[in-house]
Amino acid sequence: MEELILKLKQEIIEVLNLEDIKPEDIDNDAPLFGEGLGLDSIDALELIVLMEKNYGIKLQDPAKGKEIFKSINVMADYIQKNRTR
Amino acid sequence: MARVIRCIAENVVSPLGTTARSNYDNVRAGKSGLARYESMGNITTPFVLSRVDRQVIDSLCAELGILGNYTFFEKFLLCSSAQAVRDAGIDASSDRVLFIVSTTKGNVSLLGQPEEGIADERVLLAKAAAQVTRYYGNPNKPIVVCNACISGVCAQIEAMRALRSGRYDYAVVIGADEQSPFIISGFLSFKAISDEPCRPFDKERKGLNLGECAATVVLEASDKKKRGWELVCGAIRNDANHISGPSRTGEGSYLCLMEVLKECNRQELAFVNVHGTATAYNDEMESIALFRAGLIDVPVTGLKCYYGHTMGAAGIMESILSMYAACDNTVLATRGYREQGTTYPVNVSSGNRECKGSEFIKLLSGFGGSNAALLYRFEE
Amino acid sequence: MERRGLEYVVLNQGNAQLTELYRSQIGDWPKFFKMDTLSKAGFVATELLLKKLGERRCGSEEFIQSRAIVLFGSTASLCADRNYQETIQNKDDYYPSPALFVYTLPNIVTGEIAIRNHWRGESSFYVLVAPDAAQMAFHLACAFQDSVTESILAGWVDSRNNDDFQVFMTLIRKEDAADTDWLAGQLQLIINDLNK
Repeated sequence: MEELILKLKQEIIEVLNLEDIKPEDIDNDAPLFGEGLGLDSIDALELIVLMEKNYGIKLQDPAKGKEIFKSINVMADYIQKNRTR
Repeated sequence: MARVIRCIAENVVSPLGTTARSNYDNVRAGKSGLARYESMGNITTPFVLSRVDRQVIDSLCAELGILGNYTFFEKFLLCSSAQAVRDAGIDASSDRVLFIVSTTKGNVSLLGQPEEGIADERVLLAKAAAQVTRYYGNPNKPIVVCNACISGVCAQIEAMRALRSGRYDYAVVIGADEQSPFIISGFLSFKAISDEPCRPFDKERKGLNLGECAATVVLEASDKKKRGWELVCGAIRNDANHISGPSRTGEGSYLCLMEVLKECNRQELAFVNVHGTATAYNDEMESIALFRAGLIDVPVTGLKCYYGHTMGAAGIMESILSMYAACDNTVLATRGYREQGTTYPVNVSSGNRECKGSEFIKLLSGFGGSNAALLYRFEE
Repeated sequence: MERRGLEYVVLNQGNAQLTELYRSQIGDWPKFFKMDTLSKAGFVATELLLKKLGERRCGSEEFIQSRAIVLFGSTASLCADRNYQETIQNKDDYYPSPALFVYTLPNIVTGEIAIRNHWRGESSFYVLVAPDAAQMAFHLACAFQDSVTESILAGWVDSRNNDDFQVFMTLIRKEDAADTDWLAGQLQLIINDLNK
């Protein structure tokens, strides 16, 4: 799980171009959206692409992303349970 | 006095017809160009699209004598404008005639699928527009308005200003877009596309449909009022909020409406033809803007349920159909609407309604925080 | 009386210059790193121009509605178009990117600048064959027909590929546009500088 969390943080930093943020700056339990990382609706859509591309998880309903992208821990947990690659 | 700007000819080419009249008659009769597709190119997600039959365009071009080596997009621009220019009876090769093209993506499909005999540079919008001016032998430098979904309204505003400046006497404003996998996949990635015919303002709306259309208005500047549709004024305003999401307060659309209302005779306002894409955010935003502008009781109509979102053509085609509808004392039905699905109850109906009034407002909004509105008035 | 020439900023030295300028002169807008080249270049040039002019970012409601943004270019979003096309070209690697797709509209750069500065006036993007001072001056003068527009952030923003762009930004006040020939002359001087 630790390994997945680190990998996921690196992937998020890369696809969302979080230029000045390092993996250790992202709190595992802090909300990904709202304050903090300053992510917006396009970032949420890009995370949906990341889930499909890197883990083979297809999310048709963007509203579901809201629950999954609650925090890194929630996201990693969801990926571990549902990944197909 | 500022010069009077009047529409003297118009054309619409779409799956619902190749003239403005046939398009209006079909829409009034409740026909739609929307059809479901299970896939296209690399796209495997189903979607609903209003697509023009390529053979219809080819035979129309042959009939009109448009014979050069053109892409589908260029043929689309030419077959619509050629009919409008012919009907206007103007000399399109005069330097007093300005051509303005409205498109979002032009020949972008060439990136994925180059065509033999078509230079790569035609993917540049102004190079595609140059095919049009060259066809008519028009000496003016081409200009393309590329303001996302509001381009068609912006192009008419730009034409109005150019005519008022006195430099030109006529403007041919042409809008078109081809729906290739480029645009469709992009809107799918935004989770903005419905796999059913769209339902503007409805509680159960699931997103937009895309569509293909080419539309043209020929505008004339004169020193006195004459019978016909006068383009009174227009406005373009930015939300300054987000590059893809509309403002939560409808700021830009509200400001546009307030600007055109300055010239509007409210008793004569027949209806507002809105953007009405049937995405959750757009329709909600428009309801807020209409409410704030004091227009919540005015009949509202949206045409995306017949044509889908036709991008660069939308502002022009929707203006033209509004002219026909207002002359016919009709607020066209917004198909698919059943139950209020926005915070403010927009005055929208799933059936055609009667209306009175010689004015209408055309409203659009789009990516980049852009919004635009126009006011047209019928002069007796 | 001799009229003062237009202040302007020209950028044409590639992406490294943009990032360097962002870090040394701006630094408080992390969304910069999410932008495509066209928006980055337009954004940085605008920031530098406003600094040069000493304009404060905030303004009255009246002011933010009176400031328009009118940009021109020849390649429009072609560079972003190519980047997005790559994400949909191959069946086995088909992952359309919404973050790239949104920049396939050239007017997004006008939106980025409007958001940064809270400007709610007109915003427009016109595509021309090439930078043409007379053509641009004419359309800019036309833009002042709007009843509330008092000044226009005007510029040429063009990007051939991710590391090759040409941008200028200038600020035009209503009185500058009253004399279209003078305005065209000024724009020609800037265009000459752009091509250096």
